[in-house]
Amino acid sequence: MGAYRSIRTRRMRRKPREVELQLTSMLDVLVIILVFLLKSYSTSTNNFTTLPGLKLPLSASQDIPPDSLHLIITPEGMTFENNRIVEFEMNAASLDEAETGGYTLRRADLAEDGRQIKPLYNALMEAKDKAELLRAKSKARDAEGNPLPFDGILAIQADKRVNYDTIRKIMYTGATAGFKTFRLLALKRDG
Amino acid sequence: MLKRPSSRRRSAPSEVAINLVPMLDALVTLIGFLLFSMSFLALVTIETPIPQISEADVQKKITEKPLQLTVTLRDKETEIWSPFQRIKSQTIPHNSEGLPDTAAIHAAMIEIKREFTAENKVVFVPAASTSYDILVAVMDSLRVLEPTDPAIFKTNEQTGIDEPLKALFTEVVFGNLLGEG
Repeated sequence: MGAYRSIRTRRMRRKPREVELQLTSMLDVLVIILVFLLKSYSTSTNNFTTLPGLKLPLSASQDIPPDSLHLIITPEGMTFENNRIVEFEMNAASLDEAETGGYTLRRADLAEDGRQIKPLYNALMEAKDKAELLRAKSKARDAEGNPLPFDGILAIQADKRVNYDTIRKIMYTGATAGFKTFRLLALKRDG
Repeated sequence: MLKRPSSRRRSAPSEVAINLVPMLDALVTLIGFLLFSMSFLALVTIETPIPQISEADVQKKITEKPLQLTVTLRDKETEIWSPFQRIKSQTIPHNSEGLPDTAAIHAAMIEIKREFTAENKVVFVPAASTSYDILVAVMDSLRVLEPTDPAIFKTNEQTGIDEPLKALFTEVVFGNLLGEG
């Protein structure tokens, strides 16, 4: 059969084949992923970390928290700027309430008639001093040429089982350490 | 006009292929960076300042009784009231699960906002045993105006145009940071 093939057919067969990978569809997929990521990136401009087992409540708020000092409260203890500063005490009464997040602050950790949490106060004061030192060294100045004042914002990321009594003690401690605004963090509710 | 076979072959349309490989490289790098740096936890915030007394507020209070809208959470009910009797006190019992009836609280707040459109502050007094998720849910019902809620309008003093409000009482202050509750 081969003997009857035309010269043109033989010439065409001799040409080396160029194998080209079809990249257009892959590029389409990647562009779609990129657009999706860029859209979701705008809602994740903070560096707040979380802890395993922490259950955050849902909120209808639309305000995205900017970066600030942050405190995580779990049923087991408090973590300030990734350092565990307070361990809660699990006594017999609190063990009965384990499902609802039962725990108590140690008596030794409290001051000012049980309103202030001492280790938290110390950690907040240390962070405040550090922030003021950085602001003093920074070139940013206000209209009168003074270093920018300490913003005094504390973000609180609490487990949904934590009670108001603990939150109140934290806010009181923050207020005595010079923090004026608290940001209660929650997970964004869809819809 | 007839052409010779050789010239016919030459006139075949040439394919112009864009080199997509560098673009693909850039996209893959960008996607990798975005995936690495983004957080998948969609966090939102409810801001609350500590109660402060300002001289301006004191001066204002002398001329006019403030609303000082207060929401008190108790074991079995929620009370919405004003220490200066600017509104009629309302008591909303908890729902069948023993939790604050956030829908009823929200509806009551909408009615109050209709009357006091310029007011943005609410004093929140929860019980000590209130859990954080209940705090957040009640604070949402005090602050957020949902798209399904009836519209509330406020006249813009500069333009004279009635404009719809986007939120209820945005400034929630805790009223019992020192006291027992």
